[in-house]
Amino acid sequence: MSIDSEAANLPANLPIEAPVPEKAEHPFRRFTSQYCHSAVAVMGLIVLVAIVLVALLAPWISPQNPYDLGQIDVMDARLAPGETDFTGEKVYMLGTDDQGRDMLSAIFYGLRISLTVGVISGLIALSIGAAIGLLAAFYGGRIDAFIMRIVDLQLSFPAILIALMLLAALGRGVDKTMIALVAVQWAYYARTVRATALVERQKEYISAATCLGLGRARIIFRHMLPNVVAPLIVVGAVQTASAISLEATLSFLGIGLPVTEPSLGLLIANGFEYMLTGKYWISVFPGLALLVTIVSINLVGDQLRDVLNPRLSR
Amino acid sequence: MRRSLKFGAALGATLLLAAGAARADDVKIGIYSEPSAMDPHYHNLGPNNSFSSNIYDALIIQDENQNLTPGLAMSWEPVSDLVWEFKLRKGVKFHDGSDFNADDVMFTSERAPNVPNSPSSFGTYLKGKTFSKVDDFTIRVTTERPYPLMPVDLSTVSIISSDVGADVKTADFNAGPAMIGTGPYKFVEWLPSDRIVLVKNEDYWGEKAAFDKVTMKPIKSNPTRVAALLSGDVDMIDSVPTADIETLKKTDGVTLASGISNRVIYLHMDRFRDNSPFITGTDGKNPLKDLRVRQAISMAINRDAIVSRVMEGIAIPAGQLLPPGFFGTSDKLKPQAYNPKRAKELLAEAGYPNGFGLTIHGPNDRYINDAKIAQAIGQMLTRVGIKTQIETMPKSVYFRSASRGGPNGEPKYSFILVGWGSGTGEASSPLKSLVHTHNKELGFGASNRGRYSNPKTDKLIEDALATVDDTKRAALLAEATEIAISDLAVIPLHYQVNTWATTKGLKYLPRTDERTSLRSLKKQ
Repeated sequence: MSIDSEAANLPANLPIEAPVPEKAEHPFRRFTSQYCHSAVAVMGLIVLVAIVLVALLAPWISPQNPYDLGQIDVMDARLAPGETDFTGEKVYMLGTDDQGRDMLSAIFYGLRISLTVGVISGLIALSIGAAIGLLAAFYGGRIDAFIMRIVDLQLSFPAILIALMLLAALGRGVDKTMIALVAVQWAYYARTVRATALVERQKEYISAATCLGLGRARIIFRHMLPNVVAPLIVVGAVQTASAISLEATLSFLGIGLPVTEPSLGLLIANGFEYMLTGKYWISVFPGLALLVTIVSINLVGDQLRDVLNPRLSR
Repeated sequence: MRRSLKFGAALGATLLLAAGAARADDVKIGIYSEPSAMDPHYHNLGPNNSFSSNIYDALIIQDENQNLTPGLAMSWEPVSDLVWEFKLRKGVKFHDGSDFNADDVMFTSERAPNVPNSPSSFGTYLKGKTFSKVDDFTIRVTTERPYPLMPVDLSTVSIISSDVGADVKTADFNAGPAMIGTGPYKFVEWLPSDRIVLVKNEDYWGEKAAFDKVTMKPIKSNPTRVAALLSGDVDMIDSVPTADIETLKKTDGVTLASGISNRVIYLHMDRFRDNSPFITGTDGKNPLKDLRVRQAISMAINRDAIVSRVMEGIAIPAGQLLPPGFFGTSDKLKPQAYNPKRAKELLAEAGYPNGFGLTIHGPNDRYINDAKIAQAIGQMLTRVGIKTQIETMPKSVYFRSASRGGPNGEPKYSFILVGWGSGTGEASSPLKSLVHTHNKELGFGASNRGRYSNPKTDKLIEDALATVDDTKRAALLAEATEIAISDLAVIPLHYQVNTWATTKGLKYLPRTDERTSLRSLKKQ
């Protein structure tokens, strides 16, 4: 998993200077044109947008609601891609799983769950992590040491282990999976933000703000926070991808989401049983969907890192 | 230098030979369900009883078809209406070298029904029986009423050594020191969820073990277990997944053995709480108490679909508690036909035209395709308006909660998927444990997790258990079954068909009691 290596690399790559906007070009346009330098990254972005659209529109574009037990029929179980149901009316484009669930719909809904869980848990972890990281950097001393030791402690455990323990204690469910994902992610954000904010704290504008007698909260959140956003975005993209794959791992192990609402990981696990019998489609298609999602997020995240890092600016 | 080389080579060759010889008689078995304990009296559960049969003997031993054969008792007969006499086998030694005698039977009869925290107690087979020692090799068992099932009941209880002491704990068995039996294999070690190791008991009184050393590896994941067999990692697996049977049939060197079991997979419903914890949308009423709702549920279930689609044809739709043909089953009962339309009407008649909400709880590592069956039932019930949620969990969590996880040690769930294998091979076993009113003291209704209670069936069951005449007893059991099924004390789904797979050189004799017992594993 890429979580550890990314987190370890990032502090070294962080911008020493906050990006100074050039006057000639609007920052957003400059950003866009830099992003578009890489054709692969643009492709990644297009695919990602398409996946997000599919996930958002899943209830309207799916042939069936795979989570409504009344709509799926075990009589249609394990049909190969392209086969019709027993009434001969519906065609299952990507086949069905062992409960007669349409794989195409299940993948659409699975993407929806995976992205929702990944993004929401990422945002919550980001908020918590950023706030804690800023506090640590601003106050320094014992508070900093205390917070960072907790972060170190947490990062020394594999993410999957913490998530497994939490889910064993909390039980199944979308909300519980998100809690587990937040719990394993916040530390990465906290460490990243702290490292950047430590640098920012030495700068004159913070001293100036302090001299002006501004409140601490205002200094932290109005002045420091905007300057640590760039690395946060990069870590956020990478972390979202790893949160999605972690959720898939947990579901594959059968402890994440409920069996009646399979996410991509659970779909893969369901099909795993049939791999020896040649019924490949139950595992392979959700696996591909998961792969494409994670690769596209990583492509976008990589390019963001390049663009937002002034030392690599072209 | 040269000498030491030569010596080294000789030593190496000897070691190689030894290793080769050891390998030939070492067998590794991939098992689906791990015992929940080594203690043979802790949990009356299939995997536990299967395993105990390797280490322990009972007074009477059931063969592959559940016929009774002499075990630690040479012979048995009723000496009067109320008293059975067992003549014990002489010259039998326990694994620790001590001699077997009547004291061990007396000790076992006291301990087995009284193991603390037992999720499913052997009291069901031992309560109401008074054991007395006549001499060192004669035991008499007295009951208050005539009791024809005495031999079969006692064939379910493993005899342990009295040397382990009265205060022996389940943990002492799990750790090894108390694992002293008289069976064909000796216990070496149990590393939970890793392996159980056994070695041959050279002094066994009966047919000697076929293998020197046996390692049982719990492999819960179906594809992993099959892959382990195909890769040669294990030499035999049980619970061959229904999905892989076709593939394995075509694989060279793999032998399949399958046979019908005495196990019915059924649904049990909360019948004792007015406000059942996992039912929603009924304003605090318990719809499962209404016969029409239970009929609707039974009719909403398409048993043929479960058998053909979930079980891939490897199961038999069930209409009662034991497959027809077993002793005490009814000729009249057929599997309930699928009729979703009538099910909806019945729900409306019962006052639930819009259905209600229900959670079905079940294990996901105990019965063949258990979690999938639960989901298929969820679909079928949802389609007639009973919005069903499905929660499946490992058996280690499930059975404890299902039996006594609620307040005051009551069953926790409202609607459960579970299975019952008739340990006695006839109909009194499920009737007594699932249908008879729960009564811990008398050992009735030990697994009656719905707390169904009907004086009529209770009386018929008790009468049957006291009827010596086989024909009359069979009729009483069949009548009790008919009443229980028409009242839907439980909703039967299907009978399991079990499949074992072995690789070259091994042969397994399929057992109706589903056990994966080393007694039935032979060299070809």
